[in-house]
Amino acid sequence: MTAPLLSIRDLVVNFHGQGAPRTLIDHVSVDLAEGEILGLVGESGSGKSLLCRAVMGLLPSRRLMIDGGLVALWGRDLVKASPADMLAVRGREIGMIFQNPTSHLDPVMKIGDQIAEGIRFHQGASAREAREAAVEILRQVGFPDPARQYDNYPHEFSGGMRQRAMIAAALSCRPKILIADEPTTALDVTIQAQILELLLDLRERLGLSVILITHDLGIVAQTCDRIAVMRDGKLVEQGPKRQVLRAPKHDYTRMLIGSHPSLPAGNIAKPCNVGPAVRQKERPLLEIDDLHVRFDTGGSLFRPGRKTVSAVKGVSLQVMPGDAIGIVGESGSGKSTLARAILGLVPLSSGHIAFDGVDIAQQPRKALAKLRRETAMVFQDPLNALNPRLTVGETLGEVLKIHGTPVAEIPGRINELLDLVHLGREFAGRKPRSMSGGQCQRVGIARALAVNPRLIIADECVAALDVTIQKQIVDLFAELKARMNLTLLFIAHDLAIVRNLCERVLVMYHGEIVEEGLSADIFARPQRPYTAALIDAVPDIDPDKKLLAPKTDVEPAAA
Amino acid sequence: MSVSATRFSVSTSLNRWFGQHLSLAIGAGMLAFFIIMAIAAPLIAPYDPVVQMADARLQPPSLSHPFGTDNFGRDILSRVIWGTRIDLQIAFIGVVFPFIIGTMLGTIAGFFGGLVDTVFMRIVDIILAFPFLVLMLSIIAILGPGLTSFYIAMALVGWVSYARLVRAQILVLKNSDYAVAAVSLGFSRMRIMFRHLLPNAIAGSLVFVMSDAVLVLLNGAAISYLGLGVQPPAAEWGIMVAEGQPFVTTAWWITFFPGLSIVFLAFAFSLLGDALGDLLGVHE
Repeated sequence: MTAPLLSIRDLVVNFHGQGAPRTLIDHVSVDLAEGEILGLVGESGSGKSLLCRAVMGLLPSRRLMIDGGLVALWGRDLVKASPADMLAVRGREIGMIFQNPTSHLDPVMKIGDQIAEGIRFHQGASAREAREAAVEILRQVGFPDPARQYDNYPHEFSGGMRQRAMIAAALSCRPKILIADEPTTALDVTIQAQILELLLDLRERLGLSVILITHDLGIVAQTCDRIAVMRDGKLVEQGPKRQVLRAPKHDYTRMLIGSHPSLPAGNIAKPCNVGPAVRQKERPLLEIDDLHVRFDTGGSLFRPGRKTVSAVKGVSLQVMPGDAIGIVGESGSGKSTLARAILGLVPLSSGHIAFDGVDIAQQPRKALAKLRRETAMVFQDPLNALNPRLTVGETLGEVLKIHGTPVAEIPGRINELLDLVHLGREFAGRKPRSMSGGQCQRVGIARALAVNPRLIIADECVAALDVTIQKQIVDLFAELKARMNLTLLFIAHDLAIVRNLCERVLVMYHGEIVEEGLSADIFARPQRPYTAALIDAVPDIDPDKKLLAPKTDVEPAAA
Repeated sequence: MSVSATRFSVSTSLNRWFGQHLSLAIGAGMLAFFIIMAIAAPLIAPYDPVVQMADARLQPPSLSHPFGTDNFGRDILSRVIWGTRIDLQIAFIGVVFPFIIGTMLGTIAGFFGGLVDTVFMRIVDIILAFPFLVLMLSIIAILGPGLTSFYIAMALVGWVSYARLVRAQILVLKNSDYAVAAVSLGFSRMRIMFRHLLPNAIAGSLVFVMSDAVLVLLNGAAISYLGLGVQPPAAEWGIMVAEGQPFVTTAWWITFFPGLSIVFLAFAFSLLGDALGDLLGVHE
């Protein structure tokens, strides 16, 4: 192994607030060799982003200070470098890309200019030279028509193309090191696979060294050479990828690997024990027939040219009591709209939805009353789904009261609900802001259970959570489903989670169901190329199972 | 961890709290001072505010008349103290009714949208199209001079700002996940509007109440100055300033002390509004 390019030694970052300083990064030592991809793994709050910001000299608050250790880049200590020196280091020697490309690109500046800006600043190039260089970089990161797309603005691109633009901006000054902070977390799996492939390709061509921050071990397994696992500001384990994945030394690493959903689980949800013959006689709990949902866009009082966008186009579906059905698809495929239409939260344009035999369009009053009493929804963003001014107890108690629980029984029922979702009873007095994402989501589930529902619709309810928490929530759903005979519609873009929880899967694409069947069948033998692309794009934790980015033009180029 | 975090000793956390909320402490202290003065007016005022003493006209501040006397020989200090009662009442009533009406209409307009929203917001536009004082004066002119007319005019005109503020918030909040959750759980519209959306939408308006109180106070003074509000011989700061105007060059104390009181009360409200904004997280 050659001498490390970047060497972090015993780095300590403290938070100096009132009282004693709190240690956020605790004596972390990591090396990054030339041409290497280092995967930095850990839950939110483990300090992985902070570590990289410390390296860049971009600590987010004045109260955070580097109180020890050194960061050596080619033998030069960046901790002691002056702010002026750091300006030269950022961009020219270390580039950085972020999770959310939308908020890190200037919305009123042309994509190309944002890249050329760095070239002009760092290399003193003329406007014309910078433009040529920027076009070349855009071509390298996969823009199909860079000369024209140079003049487009960020909003004209899809999320994946914006992330490519971010990478282009970070690469504009030919840095030796690229720090990528959760670069694909906000993207769909297929786009994620493309971006990861781009990173690998750039490493080959430009000899980049990359620090890849992620919470998804699958991504690490597919792309990185070495893994460093962080927890609570400490480095708990590091080593070559295969060694860490195959023989993890630390318990925490073992737990991370254990909770990764892509594990070929032996406990893939089995179809209900009841045979099909028996089930024929049962009435479906939910019946959807040729459902269309259209939204009006554009047009105004003075410009009558109204356009409609079809979010759901001709979906038909039957859900039997006790089913667990997964709905998967990329963003914009109409999954959420379908969920909201089922709950009567979005007006239908045509078609029928019948819940327990009552048609929403024909008997709206009766159907809505029934839906409100017997269905509930769990949302994606757990914090935003709870009223910030109410305590957990008030939130649950209100639902119970509305649904006719006698006042005397409400405190007891609140405790029961908290027990069901494995939260301590003292949580009744807490407000959402003082709770973690996982705890908030448990409250969201408890609130859904408060109505004693027959059907629960979970809309991307684990997408915003850490992997370990995801596993806990999914396990909770599985447990509740078995215990309370719930019917579950589980919407997700993460196929692995759906596979472990649901016996049937629907794949949606552009508002239509393109494939439907038993989970085991679909994952083993997908019939449609789109489904196959979705499945192949999931990064597997086994480094020998290659990641396959879809070659088809799934992602339309900018207009 | 969270348990230990809540166990501060009470005295240090109170100290720190007031340290961080200096403007709250000062504002609340000043307002409390005025309220006590209003309540205890009969006890602390040295003279009757309306009794004229022919032998003590236009006297400068002295030991027997600390703020001096006016052209009718009335004691300014006593009149300022008694005036607190009326001016606090003006600030309070002049704000409360616009606040209630505006918040209600804003919530309804934002929540229901469509035709309801269009109608309410066009009314707001119409009211805002006229200069505030001109509208006030014409309403008071129709109803006849007096404090009651002033309050009615305030209620009719002042609610528009609150309606706009609250409506904008409700428009954002009604699409939040917890509002959708409330709908999907079968909560009534009333409950969603007033228990779930309004408490989260109202912070900005509560802060505005304080700055609005300042404006209302000055308006009340202006209206009284024009002779359409409080009628003489009642003691009110605005009318006192008006009455002292002919003597500004010769007997400055007649206008100075009531004017100073207006400034101080307005200052107290401003500080309170600022502190309230910090507490409710409006400035973040």
